[in-house]
Amino acid sequence: MQLQINGQRTHADAAPDMPLLWVLRDQLNLTGTKFGCGIAACGACTVHVDGQAVRSCVTPVSAVQGKDIRTIESLGSAEHPHALQQAWIAEQVPQCGYCQSGMLMAAAALLARTPHPTDADIDAAMSNICRCGTYQRVRAAIHRAANSPMPSPSSSATKSASSSTASPASGSAA
Amino acid sequence: MKRRTILLSALGAGSALLVGWGVAPPRSRLGSADSMLPTQGSVGLNGWIKIGEDGSVALAMPRSEMGQGVHTALAMLAAEELDIPLDKVRLEQAGPDAMYGNVAAVLAFLPFHPKQTEEGQRSATVKTAQWLTAKVGRELGLIMTGGSSSVADAWEPVRLAAASARASLAQAAAAQWQVPVGELVFKQGKISHASGKEGHFGEFAAASAKLNPGNVSPKARKDWTLIGSPAPRMDLWAKSSGSATFGLDVRLPNMVFAAVRLCPMIGGSVQSVDSAAALALPGVLKVIPLKPSHGASAGLAVVGKTTWHARQGAQALQVQWAQRPQGALDTTQAAEQLQAQLAKEEGYTFHERGTPAASQDTLSATYSAPYLGHMTMEPMNCTAWLQDGKLSVWAPAQVPEAAREAAAKAAGLPLAKVEIHITLLGGGFGRRLEVDYVVLAAQVAMALPGQPVQLTWSREEDSAHDFFRPMHVAQLQASHDGQGQVQSLQIKSAGDSISPRWMERVLPAFAGPFDAPDKTDSEGLFDLPYGFAHQKMAHVATKVGIPVGFWRSVGHSHNAFFSESFIDELAAKAGTNPLAFRQQWLQDAPRHLAVLNLAAEKAQWGKTLPEGQAQGIALHESFGSIVAQVARVSLEGGTLRVHEVFCAIDCGTVVNPAIVAQQMEGSVVFALSAALWGQVDIVQGEVQQRNFHQHHVVGMAHAPQVHTYIVPSERTPAGVGEPGVPPLAPAVANAVFALNGQRLRSLPLKA
Repeated sequence: MQLQINGQRTHADAAPDMPLLWVLRDQLNLTGTKFGCGIAACGACTVHVDGQAVRSCVTPVSAVQGKDIRTIESLGSAEHPHALQQAWIAEQVPQCGYCQSGMLMAAAALLARTPHPTDADIDAAMSNICRCGTYQRVRAAIHRAANSPMPSPSSSATKSASSSTASPASGSAA
Repeated sequence: MKRRTILLSALGAGSALLVGWGVAPPRSRLGSADSMLPTQGSVGLNGWIKIGEDGSVALAMPRSEMGQGVHTALAMLAAEELDIPLDKVRLEQAGPDAMYGNVAAVLAFLPFHPKQTEEGQRSATVKTAQWLTAKVGRELGLIMTGGSSSVADAWEPVRLAAASARASLAQAAAAQWQVPVGELVFKQGKISHASGKEGHFGEFAAASAKLNPGNVSPKARKDWTLIGSPAPRMDLWAKSSGSATFGLDVRLPNMVFAAVRLCPMIGGSVQSVDSAAALALPGVLKVIPLKPSHGASAGLAVVGKTTWHARQGAQALQVQWAQRPQGALDTTQAAEQLQAQLAKEEGYTFHERGTPAASQDTLSATYSAPYLGHMTMEPMNCTAWLQDGKLSVWAPAQVPEAAREAAAKAAGLPLAKVEIHITLLGGGFGRRLEVDYVVLAAQVAMALPGQPVQLTWSREEDSAHDFFRPMHVAQLQASHDGQGQVQSLQIKSAGDSISPRWMERVLPAFAGPFDAPDKTDSEGLFDLPYGFAHQKMAHVATKVGIPVGFWRSVGHSHNAFFSESFIDELAAKAGTNPLAFRQQWLQDAPRHLAVLNLAAEKAQWGKTLPEGQAQGIALHESFGSIVAQVARVSLEGGTLRVHEVFCAIDCGTVVNPAIVAQQMEGSVVFALSAALWGQVDIVQGEVQQRNFHQHHVVGMAHAPQVHTYIVPSERTPAGVGEPGVPPLAPAVANAVFALNGQRLRSLPLKA
């Protein structure tokens, strides 16, 4: 099966119903994307598919053939970090760090469609679970990145912003 | 019997031994260069510090990083003494040498009231006990990350080791340059002299290794430039780019993957298995029976080309399970058993002061807390590889040496044939103080000689086969004199003891023939700071049999809810403001009072709040630190929301205030999940809450804003990872009472 991952055509020897998560982790050794629950409840496995935040643990690989798949490994580099990665460091977000790949990918998709999210937008979009409780710093980092002058270097996050619909903002700010 | 076994039995026999490891001479934990792994071109200067050819500094790291920031904090101690930038410290996993054992954690197991261990307050008995216990702790060499003890334990030895290394390097440079040692300047990893001479550490390492640094002291507090600063954690980029390596990220050549299918009934066994359907699936390679030991459940492992194939295979297994012979475990029955034993038995008295006079005016209440799971984000996993009779293990473990010994035992190999690599931990919270997941991976690796295998548990298996925070119940009673003043406080609690069960699983060689009183049962009840004249706190140790383990802040996590809620009840009965009531009874506890007042001041205690909101306050000491929290809550349409928490802490000398703030924020969220929703039910031996849709935890939309304030202190550093947890539940429950007069006496809070 041919997949487009982080801008590269990649061959994966996978059955159609195999979740994308395990193709990434166990076949392609892209271990930045994490396994947390297996039922799309925690968000640790969040990747971008055509710019949308998708939970790869329940996404069959057949559903993403021909689509632009982006993982945390392509969000930014040490030389050219994504605005969110810079904000993550400035706000000292990570603790154990396990959920942070998913948090960053969810946040990147949010900023791509809502460049200046409100707290309610963040509550609605960021349903990832973090047991270390980094939420208030994640929130601060998203606001910081949204207000940073640096354009986001991630092509995936901006490319298909037009194709997504804004989530209803129902959460309330703490 | 081994010598250390005897020492530990003596210790476990309930002798009044104590906490605080100040008396253990840190010099005995400097170690020698042989303690560190020899690497090409590097020169070890002692058991902690090794200098590279390029002048780089390696620090032996015996503690596991699970989010609490310990790698950064310990590196800061070394960097401070050597005057090098923090990012120039390279961490190297420490070996099995006993010098890396966590003496502070061992000592903290012993039951003493904090007042007895205050500097200047210690009796001769306490001092003797300290000395003896410190010796035992060093002898044990228990390499463990837990009990919020890492910085307290490393404080003297790591600073001394780095200072000694610096002294040796200085001597070598002075000798080479023929200048007085006192004229050398250490800056940014370089040594220089006013004459223009300059060199990096690597140039003097070989010469300095032959020198005796003599009697060295760490830097004076006034000279610190790094300790006390909010230095960025060393792991920020790795954890913001997906490049940090957790247990699940270990990748080895030709590795295969395995999944577990464990007996769903706790303590049960496999009656029969039909593996045909599983083995018929594509990508499924092998089915391996798993023997229960070290707390691990009976079951099977399925090996596949990927974790997905293995998971498919595990689901396809046809297994007949059998209940445990003693009958099914059940949390409803556990609650009944606890209530019955609490009513009937006297228990072990952990603290007694004065004799309560008879009083007609009493207040009593019964509180309870359920079993709780850990739910680390990274599910249990371990990677193992049997090669040429040698087993290599990669594990995200809090107890590396116990894990290695358990792996050797499970594999039937001599200890020398087993090596362990500690990865980053995707959360620990006490779950990774266990070795069950290592034992299972070792068994799988032994069945696949030559083939590296990664064993990953599903979230459902992880939730079902946890070692839960034990259910506890407590009866609290206060009597008042004729003027309505509190005269006595009596507390009796009941619940399973954790420490003896943990010893049986993790350190079986040290487990005693009977259960000594376990401090963790009563911590947070027997050690209260309030000056009530008469106090008696006892605990009835039950043996329900549901597997119990250490859960972030352990006994304090539920006992603080019991005690600090009841203190609030006493304030209400006295018709006094909860803050003023506490202040009144803390006249002999100035540190507690200062923390309480700081939180109250920052939260503007008593200010007018929006309609439908209220504040609650709680104060608690644990792991040597004192934390007070003021929670602002509301009940919107019957839903309890915590909007904001003001948190004050006295944790002694602060190494990194930014990490302290992180830990306070994280502790509040962790504790809030438990306070609002945390509960594990076991029916017919089976855990009912198996994944995040059943085991709700706080998410972004429910996370309160936490404001952290630190009380300046020059005391020895104390705990940070756990002390923020205990006060949260009572602060929230007390706020609910302030809001609607409803007193919530059981967890989770049902407002």
